[in-house]
Amino acid sequence: MDNVVRQNRLSLRSILMRFGFLIVFALFFLFFAAWNPVFVQGQNLLNIVEGSAILIIVAMGMTLIVATGGIDLSVGIALDFGAAFAVVAMKSYGMGWFSAACVGLIGGSLVGLLNAALVVGLRISPFLATLGTFFIGSSAQRIFTNGGGPISYRKMPEGFRDIAQGDLYGIPTEVIIAAVLVLIYYLVLERSVWGRRVHAMGMQRSASIVAGIRVNRILIACFVFASITCAVGGLIAAANIRMFTPLSGFSYLLDAIAAVFIGAALHPRGRPNVLGTLAGVLFLGMITNGLNLMGLNFNTKDALSGIILVSALALAVAQRNMRNADGD
Amino acid sequence: MQVSARHQKHRLATLVGFLPLIIFLALLLYVGLNAPNFMTVVNLKLVLAQSLPVVLSVIGLSAVVMAGGDDVVSGGIDLSTPATAVLCAGIVSVMTTAGQPLLIAAGASLIACMLVGVVNAVLITRLRMAPLLATLAMFVAVVGINNVITARKRLNLAAESIASLRQDFVFGIPLGILLVAVLALLAYHFLHRSKWGLNLQAAGGSRDAAEISGIRVDRLVAQTYLLAAFMGFVTGFFMLARANGYSPGAQDNLMLEMVLATFLGAAFSPRRIVTVWGAILGAVLVAAISIGLKTIGVNVFWTDLIKGALIVIVVALSAISERVQ
Amino acid sequence: MTEAAFQLSGIVQTFPGVRALDGADLMVRPGEVHGLVGENGAGKSTIIKVLAGVYQPAEGRIEVGGSTISPATPEKIRDAGVRFIHQELHLVPYFTVAESVFMGQEISGPFGLCKREMRSRAEAFLREELGSELPGNRLIRDLSPAERKLVQVARALVDGAAKVVVFDEPTAPLASEEVLKIMTAIAKLKTRGIAILYVSHYLNEIVDICDRVTVFRQGKNVAIFDEITTDTGPALVSAMIGRDLDAFFPTSSRSAGEVALRLEHFDDGQAFSDVNLDIRRGEIFGIAGLIGSGREELIDALYGLRKSQGTLTLDGATVDTKTAAKAVANGMVLVPRDRRHDGLVLPMTVAENATLATLDENATFGLIDRGKARQVTEALIKDLDIRPSNAQAVTRFLSGGNQQKVVLARWLAKSAKVFIFDEPTVGVDVGAKAEIYQLIENLASEGAIILISSSDPVELVGTCDRVAVMMRGDVRTIIEKQDLNVDHLVAVTTGATSVSETEHAS
Repeated sequence: MDNVVRQNRLSLRSILMRFGFLIVFALFFLFFAAWNPVFVQGQNLLNIVEGSAILIIVAMGMTLIVATGGIDLSVGIALDFGAAFAVVAMKSYGMGWFSAACVGLIGGSLVGLLNAALVVGLRISPFLATLGTFFIGSSAQRIFTNGGGPISYRKMPEGFRDIAQGDLYGIPTEVIIAAVLVLIYYLVLERSVWGRRVHAMGMQRSASIVAGIRVNRILIACFVFASITCAVGGLIAAANIRMFTPLSGFSYLLDAIAAVFIGAALHPRGRPNVLGTLAGVLFLGMITNGLNLMGLNFNTKDALSGIILVSALALAVAQRNMRNADGD
Repeated sequence: MQVSARHQKHRLATLVGFLPLIIFLALLLYVGLNAPNFMTVVNLKLVLAQSLPVVLSVIGLSAVVMAGGDDVVSGGIDLSTPATAVLCAGIVSVMTTAGQPLLIAAGASLIACMLVGVVNAVLITRLRMAPLLATLAMFVAVVGINNVITARKRLNLAAESIASLRQDFVFGIPLGILLVAVLALLAYHFLHRSKWGLNLQAAGGSRDAAEISGIRVDRLVAQTYLLAAFMGFVTGFFMLARANGYSPGAQDNLMLEMVLATFLGAAFSPRRIVTVWGAILGAVLVAAISIGLKTIGVNVFWTDLIKGALIVIVVALSAISERVQ
Repeated sequence: MTEAAFQLSGIVQTFPGVRALDGADLMVRPGEVHGLVGENGAGKSTIIKVLAGVYQPAEGRIEVGGSTISPATPEKIRDAGVRFIHQELHLVPYFTVAESVFMGQEISGPFGLCKREMRSRAEAFLREELGSELPGNRLIRDLSPAERKLVQVARALVDGAAKVVVFDEPTAPLASEEVLKIMTAIAKLKTRGIAILYVSHYLNEIVDICDRVTVFRQGKNVAIFDEITTDTGPALVSAMIGRDLDAFFPTSSRSAGEVALRLEHFDDGQAFSDVNLDIRRGEIFGIAGLIGSGREELIDALYGLRKSQGTLTLDGATVDTKTAAKAVANGMVLVPRDRRHDGLVLPMTVAENATLATLDENATFGLIDRGKARQVTEALIKDLDIRPSNAQAVTRFLSGGNQQKVVLARWLAKSAKVFIFDEPTVGVDVGAKAEIYQLIENLASEGAIILISSSDPVELVGTCDRVAVMMRGDVRTIIEKQDLNVDHLVAVTTGATSVSETEHAS
């Protein structure tokens, strides 16, 4: 009899573990909805998505790098560079909005090129290499802005402002840009030949080499692609407030990492994946929005979301462990 | 002929291995030549005093890395120590400002800090969460909690006795430097000259080997996270002393400097591994470079760039010397 | 006779789908060196893990020193004085000899570690018990493989409580001249009355050193040799593979064609130098050689996994295989020795692994055509009889033989011209082994060029048309089909017969 009870408990535990994250997601949703009915209104839900647009974009880049088996601490720098290059191109060189945006993307890609050179060329581990890039990129911004003051450009061309503030049939442009990027990332990383190779390389590099995959080429492309993606986020950030604020990209780093790992834990085989990351970002966005609606003080809100972040990650990891144990 | 070629390779590797230290010393020599008063005792004391919080936090971090292995992503790392340090500083400041005795405030912050260590240890050794991820998340959470406690305000030092870490002298040596030196020696003894320390290194060097030899790896790993949390607690007081009170936002810089110093230290050690003394040397050298560059009038905005370049150069050189070998 | 130092009787151990041990017995007496031989998959490593307390057998009894241990846990087994010298080295590269010997049992006083005492005791133990003059302050990473092995032995025995020592393939990573060091150490242990179980592929070593030998086949002990003479070698071989030797290896009516693959002046400046080989179309060409002979390094170099110089000519044209990707593009593929590390992306499914090299063929506009990929995989699963026959099964959980078939499936889909097999049946059960040999044979019949690199002489003799023997970085000789037999191959590979004698004989 003892045995039976134990087995029942075990299966209850395994159900909790298996769907734990979704249950938590749902519970938070219901909790916020019960606290403040505004939460579930269409406009608020759209606000959550709009508020998460830049994080979605940055997290896509992070998903790609984590899928290669690495990590990128310099996503914020790529974002900053995207914003800085675009704003300076318009303000100092009088470029049109489209060419300025392209310059921004090129600026962001410099970060990825540096990372690729360090990781592939010098074989430094991605963590330390991107940490180095982070230091160098931060310092470069301080030097350029003489200490970190923002570069504002109120008379920004309309077209550039529309990157963040425009809308299409009522849907904000930034949401559309994020959605398009998610679609591209989904097709590339989850459906394409190239993406399959990225995953294989990230999971088992040596086996991928033996299978004839050109891992170095893929790694370089991933770093560059990810940094350009983050630069898109930078364009949106700059268009939103009509200025470039140095070092503002750093604030997306931890959330992006968290979203990717939550997403990986949601995947049946524990892989970093585009849709999982999206779910992770929306979870974080929902928490921020919900806590805001509760009218909490800024600091309290910050602390609570930090605690929720740790718990969510712990749960996600526990869930993955359960699954692996089942598979054995 | 093959033997001599291998010998030459070995010598080349040793030379490449010493390059990081040589680069540092050359940089300091350059500073010393350009600013004659840089190499004075007063200035050296300043350098040491400036580096104390980093020195303390790298003691904890190097223990964690020694037990967990030096692969940054899958091995051991504790990024939450700086958050623990500001948590201690925050709690102590708020409580002493509110009129509580220092001892009670210290007790409360010790409990809070050790709790952080326990959570880290559980996440990493029980849930098998990647240390990088677990401690990064804890960093965010602890900083968030601390911001609630301190309301992100600057608080002046209420407990005067903390200032003695900076102001008091024993035999002409600042008390703070003396205390940290004693702690560093203790750490060196326990991490490098005791059974516990050797077991720690075995666990980090080859988990399988350690387990076969009957070493309880998980317990050791958990202990290092507790040690790191404790060092964070101690660091908090020295941060209060250095800044003459609590000032918000000190954790980001401390985290970066701590990681830089620890992995720089590995490049100094002959076995090319993270060691306590290497990490401490790294911390002092980084402080010396920062202050030195300032004395010769290098724009302060450039220091981060130089630090970033240093990480890259040192780690790349150490990777190259490994490959040559 | 003396009573048993340890005795395992009637051990049955099952894994999902496999009966790894099927009523196996094993008994070793104090002061004897007891050999344990058998093919890959015969149950040798399983019974060692049962003795170690790692596996809990479904049936059977474990006795050490006359008393039954039940249930056998690793701790109880260790306390009973049984020590294991694992095949893997498990040492920390940057530790000193003394630190490694005393790992987990350090000597410490009130002021911390007694480094000097540990060093002198480690040196004394190595000298007196194992006959080695290793200095205690040397770093592990500066030691030769044999010296590392001795450190591993010293770590297991330094507490002086060992009664039984199990050596699992102790000489596998060693060059032949270094094997002597291990043999000396074992002879010394024997004189102390310690019981030694010696597991090895190298039958010449078994014959040289062992007092008795147990042969395992298909999860059972099939023969025990109480007396070892020079004639025991061939008898061991036939006991290991059983009577159905002919049925085990495929019969062949192939005739090799013209020279199609030519290696000229291959040299990596370290492990091998000036290797020249001519391999014919439709031929199965073997490469033998102990570890340290340069055999593994040559294979890696051929496939671009190791830097080297040399010219590779395929069908008259020079081909570039400086990277693995180029090798694959030029029709040369590798089934690597470490399949769990280099062969498969373990967390991926059978379908994902089987199509990894042919993604472009299964895609439209760069997007993977999942339906087509599944069809291709299902056909391969059927052709190769991969079990479970589920394209979505994660390869980590497949048996060794089925994992190897998935690696093969990937390359069959690629329709390559040159197949390099490195240790094709390590960790593969006997049934799958025969199937893999048949597949190799079929490939050769269809005109593929096959290279097999193996440490298993039985395998090379059973499958190959010609075998090149490497020693210390050189190809010493090439044994033609008519001279190919296990004894001769082992003798040449281990250097027991010099090449000049070989030439006399043939």
